[in-house]
Amino acid sequence: MSNILQVIIVGILVGGLYGLVGLGFGLIQGVMRFVNIAQGSFIILGGFICYWAVTLLHIDPYLSIPLVMLVMFIVGVITYQLLFSPLLKYPKAEMRLDKSLLLTFGAVWIIDNLETLFWTPNSRAVITSYGGKTVNIFGAAVSYTGLIGMGLAILTAAILHIILTRTYFGKHVRAATEDAGAASLSGVNVQLTYMISCGIAVALAGLAGVVVVTNYSITPGGGIAWLLTSMVVVTLAGTDNMNFMIPAGIILGVVQSVSTLLVNPAYQQPIALIIFLLIIMFRPQGLFSRGKRLA
Amino acid sequence: MLDISQLDVFYDDLQALWDISFKIDEGKIVTLIGSNGAGKSTIMKTITGQLKPKAGKITFNNRHIDNLPPYRIVESGICMVPEGRRLFAAMNVQENLEVGASTKTARKVKNSTIAWVYEIFPVLKERARQQAGTLSGGEQQMLAIGRALMSNPKMLLIDEMSLGLSPIIVQGISRIIKEINQSKKLTILLVEQDVQLALSLADEGYIIENGHIVGRGKSADLLCNKQVKEAYLGINALKKAK
Amino acid sequence: MIGINWKTISISGLVLAIMIFVPLFINLGTGIMNQLVTLLIYILLAQSWNLIGGYTGQINLGIAAFFGCSVMVTHFIWVTGIPIVICVLVGSLSAIILAALIGIPTLRLKGMYFAVGTLALAQALQVIMQNIFNRSITTRGDYVQSYNIDYRYYLGLVLVVIVLIAIYYIRRSKLGQALVAIRDEEQAAQVMGVNTFKYKVISLLISAFIAGLAGGLYAYFRLYFYYTGDIFGLNWTFSAVIAVIIGGGGTLLGPVLGSIFLVILGYIFSLTLGQANLIVFGFLFIIVMLFLPQGLMGGVDLIRPWLSRWGKRSANKI
Repeated sequence: MSNILQVIIVGILVGGLYGLVGLGFGLIQGVMRFVNIAQGSFIILGGFICYWAVTLLHIDPYLSIPLVMLVMFIVGVITYQLLFSPLLKYPKAEMRLDKSLLLTFGAVWIIDNLETLFWTPNSRAVITSYGGKTVNIFGAAVSYTGLIGMGLAILTAAILHIILTRTYFGKHVRAATEDAGAASLSGVNVQLTYMISCGIAVALAGLAGVVVVTNYSITPGGGIAWLLTSMVVVTLAGTDNMNFMIPAGIILGVVQSVSTLLVNPAYQQPIALIIFLLIIMFRPQGLFSRGKRLA
Repeated sequence: MLDISQLDVFYDDLQALWDISFKIDEGKIVTLIGSNGAGKSTIMKTITGQLKPKAGKITFNNRHIDNLPPYRIVESGICMVPEGRRLFAAMNVQENLEVGASTKTARKVKNSTIAWVYEIFPVLKERARQQAGTLSGGEQQMLAIGRALMSNPKMLLIDEMSLGLSPIIVQGISRIIKEINQSKKLTILLVEQDVQLALSLADEGYIIENGHIVGRGKSADLLCNKQVKEAYLGINALKKAK
Repeated sequence: MIGINWKTISISGLVLAIMIFVPLFINLGTGIMNQLVTLLIYILLAQSWNLIGGYTGQINLGIAAFFGCSVMVTHFIWVTGIPIVICVLVGSLSAIILAALIGIPTLRLKGMYFAVGTLALAQALQVIMQNIFNRSITTRGDYVQSYNIDYRYYLGLVLVVIVLIAIYYIRRSKLGQALVAIRDEEQAAQVMGVNTFKYKVISLLISAFIAGLAGGLYAYFRLYFYYTGDIFGLNWTFSAVIAVIIGGGGTLLGPVLGSIFLVILGYIFSLTLGQANLIVFGFLFIIVMLFLPQGLMGGVDLIRPWLSRWGKRSANKI
């Protein structure tokens, strides 16, 4: 019995991380209609920055978060300027989608291979003094790092929600998401809004990377796996909807986790992908969709 | 206030406007009339920065604006109420108005502006928390105008206000527009299918045909003008039918 | 019948003759022969991606799945002794079946789901295969003994010629026109009564078959594999995509040009830059996409007026 509880709780914690990963991808796809295939590679990159901060500066990995997020924000802004803003000249959404898909696919190639070149193809993980310790919840052993990861995910989702609903910037984002032209005509600097949104989305990837490197490990080629995870989450939540990312992530996490009781854990990823294929075949609008609402 | 001079505008390689020139003085209501596809919307798009002219220039209060992006033009003091309203349907009334006050100068006075907008359109205040997409046609048009007013414009552009609205609502809104023009000295450029309505609201008008200006004058004169009557008011056609 | 372009046919004939007869009479050495076979595999893979991506406008990020599937099937049937040509055909058919199973449901959806669905498929297949075959896959001793690179080369040449001719005719057929219509203006095509879904499916199945041919040739070429997962690796997809983008999507020769570019540059880079060569390709890919969207074929179009002007000037001097 406690075995099932353990599995479910682990699934929930992982699900928080999955939700976080989905937030980043969904922000770019929902707001700007660009597909960022490199989102997973950004997660790994964030993990690497954390790893090197810990290894070289001897700080606690969670203290590196501000640095990671700042660096990744800048990376996001650069990515926007170089790859996405040239695509704004195409009015058709399909062209933007296709071209952004291909361009970011190329970016994956560059990022992953740069990482391999500089830091070898080996896996890295951040080991902390409290990393292995667990806390007892209802009889299940839950790791500290897992709990922290979940906490970060929920905090991030909450902050993002507040930004989107209560700040000027957030309203600009929601307006530009619905009708970029009308937003422009109302005085919104849509390009700047897009650029900052992209920065935030990649910063979120960086944050996810910190959670990944403290709970699991990172490998230069591992980005695609996380990208696909984020897509499954985004699809489950219903695109354009940031509110349901964490719940969708948790559902995915629990289903995946429970499946390990039945199948070889090595097949966890293919199972997630099968879920993805089933969802897009039978309910492409997601589990929670109720129409276009960003927040 | 607004000086448009020898504008040539193209959609890719297709020329849409030839040598358009006109001036709008402060505090006036001016209208552009003409049949569909004549070029009225193109002029509006060019003034608001959505299209760049290939030749000619536009100055507003002696500042060149023809090379500015749309949000900068709003900052300069020109704001448009777009054709079809183009509200942010998923956001509520209050939020739509707030987005209207996106520029730095508008943000500073946001609270007083919103109070004023709620004063002239009381129904918006009632529905402040309601989703914009669920409003009636007339309420949506009022919200669209309110949103544009939130940017504290010196000049308001209104594109096809009467589309899809019942005559009573249109009358009501027209009255409010006239009031705003008089009380706040807000300059207004109107593009309107309903020529009668346009000429009754405006002080003067320009007739656009096939991308050219083919006539201009005070509204009263235009209403009596034989060409205008035949082409747009259908008056001779009725006579001939009799 | 549409006029026969004698100039094109004679040039193609000349190139083909060179490719057939030179290796017969000159010993180019295994190094160059290996590169040539690799080139032929890339050309097939690029043509495959070009058909669904360049002509039909559907971006397939999981072409490695069709490739790998065919490699496996071809290999395991071949080791039982059945002649290689049949094995390659069966392998390619298996790729079609895979495409039918996964590709068709994802083709129904709009937006990025086809691209991501195929990517997901390739990833899933890679993980599954890596787990099932966690040791390397070996082959029969007698196949190793009797290995002759020339057989691989000529089989590859035959496959490439057949595929090029097939795509040439597809381009001019009703199918080809439908595909381009789907790519450029899908809604308009639907409104005009074109069954866009049917044509997308046909395009995908043919594309999968061609990828399967590439896979079969690869199985014949390599004989055995150290890391089974690599067969389904993302780099196969990337190579196909970059060859098409650099060469010019939606053209017959673009994928060929791109593949030649890829192989030559890859060879030069691996000598000089080592690991960094993949990074350079990434940059090249992005730069071409942003600044030369029609690829090298587009570049040829740009140069053509200059060439004809230069030709005329020389003629005048005489």
